Amino acid sequence: MINLSEIHVTFNKGTPLETCALRGVDLSVPKGQFLTIIGSNGAGKSTCLNVIAGLAKVEVGHVKVDGQDVTAWPVFKRSKMLSRVFQDPKMGTCEDLTILENFALAHGRTKPRGFRFAVGPNMREEAAERLKVLGLGLENRLGDKVGLLSGGQRQAVSLLMAATGDTKVLLLDEHTAALDPKTADFVLELTKQIVDELKLTAVMVTHSMAQALHTGERTVMFHRGKIVFDAQGAERDKMEVSDLLELFKREQGEELADDSLLLG
Amino acid sequence: MSLYEILGTLETGFIFGIVALGAYLTFQILDFPDLTVEGSFPLGAAVAATLMVNAGWNPWIATLAAGLAGFCAGYMTALLNVRFNILHILAGILLAISLYSINLRIMSGPNKPLLQVDSVFTAFEGFGLPGYIINPIFLGIIVIVIKLILDAFLATGWGISMRAAGANPAMAEANGVNVGNMKLYGVGFANALTGIAGALFAQIFGAADAYMGIGVIIVGLASVIVGMSIMPSRTIILATFACLVGAVLYRLAVAVALNADFLGFQASDVQLVTAVLVAVALIAQQSGSVFQIIRKGAKK
Repeated sequence: MINLSEIHVTFNKGTPLETCALRGVDLSVPKGQFLTIIGSNGAGKSTCLNVIAGLAKVEVGHVKVDGQDVTAWPVFKRSKMLSRVFQDPKMGTCEDLTILENFALAHGRTKPRGFRFAVGPNMREEAAERLKVLGLGLENRLGDKVGLLSGGQRQAVSLLMAATGDTKVLLLDEHTAALDPKTADFVLELTKQIVDELKLTAVMVTHSMAQALHTGERTVMFHRGKIVFDAQGAERDKMEVSDLLELFKREQGEELADDSLLLG
Repeated sequence: MSLYEILGTLETGFIFGIVALGAYLTFQILDFPDLTVEGSFPLGAAVAATLMVNAGWNPWIATLAAGLAGFCAGYMTALLNVRFNILHILAGILLAISLYSINLRIMSGPNKPLLQVDSVFTAFEGFGLPGYIINPIFLGIIVIVIKLILDAFLATGWGISMRAAGANPAMAEANGVNVGNMKLYGVGFANALTGIAGALFAQIFGAADAYMGIGVIIVGLASVIVGMSIMPSRTIILATFACLVGAVLYRLAVAVALNADFLGFQASDVQLVTAVLVAVALIAQQSGSVFQIIRKGAKK
């Protein structure tokens, strides 16, 4: 479903702040797979997600989604196939619009928008039905501005919005990181449920190793702009957080060894 | 103030209400501070006047043509910003000053009197009421119709896309909204309204003038700010209504200030009075609505 080949991304090229965010990333996510990505700060995991979404400019390499080369596509065009949930709950929903209008907006992602009224009785029913699943009573607050909701509620709403229409790929950028533990669990469970139900291809970036191992069916680890570890199936099932930590330390250690060689 | 003066104030208040609706669309909805209106207001006047006087066009069609010209001006400003990354304020200034020259070209001079040509107001002369009564009524109806169209538009699929594009561009893009296009059309549409307002203004006062755009931006903005601070509104329908109320109240405030002999203002002080009013309204907005301030004051 998603194919990244030889992706190189450099920020601030040609300036003293030049940083290589990704250096030669090859990643292929088959249809229906739920992939989790971990890595330390600056490892390139969020950049990788942004490359798929179209936010980060690819210097070398190609991005394919559903067989189509989308490397040159702008964000809004890719969103026909990809939907996203952001880390910041404020980002995923539009606070000046009502809950219902937000749904209508998400609905327009895959269907043509027109000069017809965005919010009709059908939309109202559909949104209420979806929101009922949350058990937060939001189905009775369809006319409220989203800005009135809490962070967790907003994140739950953006998840539901991301799942409207016939979206193919769900991109999750540390979408539980800004929530309290209980709400984070709730949102994560909801995520699993939605991905399962709609048989979506999903990519989730996370900071939590436990979350990465216990969600989805495949985990990759980024380090210094490269994929250093890729596990799925039985190999991954056996893994514990401590194994990942060990792996993580080894990568860091190697880096130290490299440096000492340089210095020595 | 006499009835005649009050009706005259309503007349201009309604015309600037149209400008205020445009300012609401750009400043509030799209978060795009658009200064093009300084040029598109006289552009609308110049286009309509020239078409009516030189080409003998029907005043209604000439007024719509003025709207089209305004749309092009706004579209250009947004294009400079969206495609060429020029700061929105600067893009607006560039368009406004270039329109000054363009307007002189269109009119082949600094002004164009509308003597002995039919205006859109001529059609109402037969109603038996004098112009100073029928014109404000007619303009009031026009501005309400435009308001309702804007309200309806902002509730359509396109409309909510435009609102999202202004309020949360990253989210809008993630939901398939072409934010750049929304700015192009939104700023274009706002300037179309301004162009129509300019055309109506020229027809009411019997001439188009290259200098009539000075301060239009601040009038439009003042109307929005005064309206919003008097009646902070949650829904679009109320917000656009607040803009119209703001436009009329603002004109009234200016008229009263200029008319009150004890204040010693002259007609030429209008821009100063405007600026002070806007500043006061902005300061008042930070400390809540005018009602809240009055309530607070009463408690003390």
